[in-house]
Amino acid sequence: MLNVSPRTRAYETLPGLNPLGIPAVAPLPSGESPDTARIVERFGTALLAAGLHNGQQVVYVAPGQLVALAEFVRQDPQLCYEALIDVSAVDRSELPVSDQRFHTVYQLRSYARKQHLTVVCPLADSGRPSVPSLAGVFAGATWPEREVWDLMGIRFTGHPDPRRILMPESWPNHPLQKQVPVGGEEVPFTLTWSDPEFESFGKQVLAAESKPPVLPPGMNRENMIINMGPHHPSTHGVLRLVVELDGETVVNVDPDLGYLHSGFEKTGENKRYKDFVYYTDRMDYLSAMSNNMGYCLTVEKLLGIAVPARGQVLRVLMAELQRLASHLFWLSTHVLDVSGTGMALLMYATRERERILDLFEMACGARLTVGYMRVGGVSRDLPPAFLGHLDAFLRAMAERIDDYERMLTNGPLWEERLRGVGHISREQAINLGLTGPMLRGSGVDWDLRRDAPYGGYEQYDFKVPVFSEGDSYARYLLRMEEMRQSLRIIRQAVDRLPDGPFRVEDRKITPPPRAELDISMEALIHHFKLMTEGFQAPPGMVYHGIESSKGELGFFVYSDGSAKPYRLHVRGPSFNNLFAISNMSKGAMLSDIVTNIGSIDIVLGEVDR
Amino acid sequence: MGLEEKLPEGILTTQLETLVNWSRENSTWPLLFGLACCAIEMIATGSARHDISRYGSELFRASPRQADLMIVSGRVSNKMAPVIKRLHDQMSEPKWVIAMGICASAGGPFNNYAIVQGVDKLIPVDVYVPGCPPRPESLLYALDRLRAKQGKETFRTYVDFKAPPLSKQPDEISSLESLRRPQLA
Ligand code: SF4
Repeated sequence: MLNVSPRTRAYETLPGLNPLGIPAVAPLPSGESPDTARIVERFGTALLAAGLHNGQQVVYVAPGQLVALAEFVRQDPQLCYEALIDVSAVDRSELPVSDQRFHTVYQLRSYARKQHLTVVCPLADSGRPSVPSLAGVFAGATWPEREVWDLMGIRFTGHPDPRRILMPESWPNHPLQKQVPVGGEEVPFTLTWSDPEFESFGKQVLAAESKPPVLPPGMNRENMIINMGPHHPSTHGVLRLVVELDGETVVNVDPDLGYLHSGFEKTGENKRYKDFVYYTDRMDYLSAMSNNMGYCLTVEKLLGIAVPARGQVLRVLMAELQRLASHLFWLSTHVLDVSGTGMALLMYATRERERILDLFEMACGARLTVGYMRVGGVSRDLPPAFLGHLDAFLRAMAERIDDYERMLTNGPLWEERLRGVGHISREQAINLGLTGPMLRGSGVDWDLRRDAPYGGYEQYDFKVPVFSEGDSYARYLLRMEEMRQSLRIIRQAVDRLPDGPFRVEDRKITPPPRAELDISMEALIHHFKLMTEGFQAPPGMVYHGIESSKGELGFFVYSDGSAKPYRLHVRGPSFNNLFAISNMSKGAMLSDIVTNIGSIDIVLGEVDR
Repeated sequence: MGLEEKLPEGILTTQLETLVNWSRENSTWPLLFGLACCAIEMIATGSARHDISRYGSELFRASPRQADLMIVSGRVSNKMAPVIKRLHDQMSEPKWVIAMGICASAGGPFNNYAIVQGVDKLIPVDVYVPGCPPRPESLLYALDRLRAKQGKETFRTYVDFKAPPLSKQPDEISSLESLRRPQLA
């Protein structure tokens, strides 16, 4: 019997693995674009570097200039980067560099000009690394900055709410710092009572003792304070909201996150590029396909490879099916929360969703955590019966959407609960960094599939529904329309499905077909190398966002040239969208909070990551 | 005993234990409580195609006081651990736990700082369901196994809790923990 534990077989330290091709200082930009030229013109030598890197506009700026730069790019009419999409940070202490251990990274977006800008801010070394907060310029920075403080330990001076956000307040470290171990337990292959490994079992568990409740800042004990969640029938997962009430009117809402924090980013930094695909399934588990796609596209951008046409169309097909499935689930739970007819719609919508899951199962064997896509394409081709079933589904689905609308759209109860509830203005939506239906429901005409096309979306003909009302009802109509548009895209994808390979033929990136392994030594070696070592990505950094069902799903990868990402950050759309809940709910009724949660469409696996 | 022959029609004889177990087996109400991906499959189990109500378990109760069964459907983070323990404590006896999925059973793919490596470190588990996520059929099979277990229970296994009632003013409460009843041996 094989009795080898990872402790005695140090897999990760086999010689030859992870040769270092580390960039000398940082992934530096070269060349210039009109935008970076404009920024250089204004700031001159105060900038550290500016230009293009992996086709993206990157600006390096010192902390002292950061706020000035943010204000400038926001207000300058030639630039107008209106929204801060994401904040993350890199701990570079394991790179062979001696200074500026932390870099904070900001992703800015101009909706009017369809431009993206990455700002990197190297921090001066000190025991307490800190950087000025951008929450004063972009309100949407508030939560991402809290997350960086929580996980990376960088302080944001002038931050309006400098608490931890995901980990418990008493957590001893900042888990994403490189010196903090991944944690967890040894996994023995076999176990006997005399094994020393047995001792470590159960050590990880914290005493399950609750702390005295803490009043969130800004709340007043004179009012009634109630607690919703983390176990609550209408919080969609383990979200906890502390609600301050005056009578039944909401004065203040403070979401408490992290009850499902699973350490995806830290795990990703310890997995090879190809192995993280399966983790992305478990992030937003209602849109596993989209997550796969976002991650694979990011790594492909880093590798600089292009997926063959069939692979691209298959990806689009699956991603749109997934959007349908996700919206169906959103619809059923939203109706369940909001109105009395809920149970019926839950049953109807899951009926259709099950058919989509069946299709997924045909394609890849799994219903929910699909892992269908791979870096370089998809894992396998469609089975012969797939397209027939898909066709039957598409024909039925168009009518079903009409059915749902007939049940809801003009229903007095439904309108009463949704119209004017959870209102967000256009300016707010942009300033809060909202994306997806939350943004389009407030009148911003922006869809990454159309405005920054990826994966071949530019070849499809579809409309982007936009509503200017900014309330829950508008977002409801918008998602229903998105489902119809998804159907259109799927039909086009089926029509144009080309023949040919479904993934790149590069044996360094995708494994050879199974049949080849029996006859070709070379194929066997390629397979072995790929499965044991993975592939290496060139040093550099990339950010890539896709339009998932909930908004912009972004992946930020910082590579040191090895087979694992040096830093992997995920921008979860529902994390940033959930930030809007206090804006949406203040002054409303307690029951409107439930509507708002449903209308934002959160998935806690992605909020907490 | 020959008693059955003397009884008029329409009367059954049985042991009290069997009767109680029979009714418990057929009306095990789960706690309405989902954690992660597995919860989605739990919802799928509850909806029309898989129809958990064939087992009498379609009534997902929002309050732990009314629930008999806790389906731990997903990964348990360190922050969530006290909450799960509290919820389990709040459920009244007799109660059962199904650890649904590999995360709840043993940590699964998340062997890291954030996730408790198996919910059995916090609460006793009756049935473990493998899978990531387990298919609805697996969950139904787990319910079946649980019924087999419930059928074997005897009254002697139940513990008698007689703790004095607690009365505390709100400002006397130092922590929620201090509200817990002292457990009788
Ligand atoms: S077992 Fe798998 S599907 Fe279930 S919660 Fe864990 S990761 Fe998600």
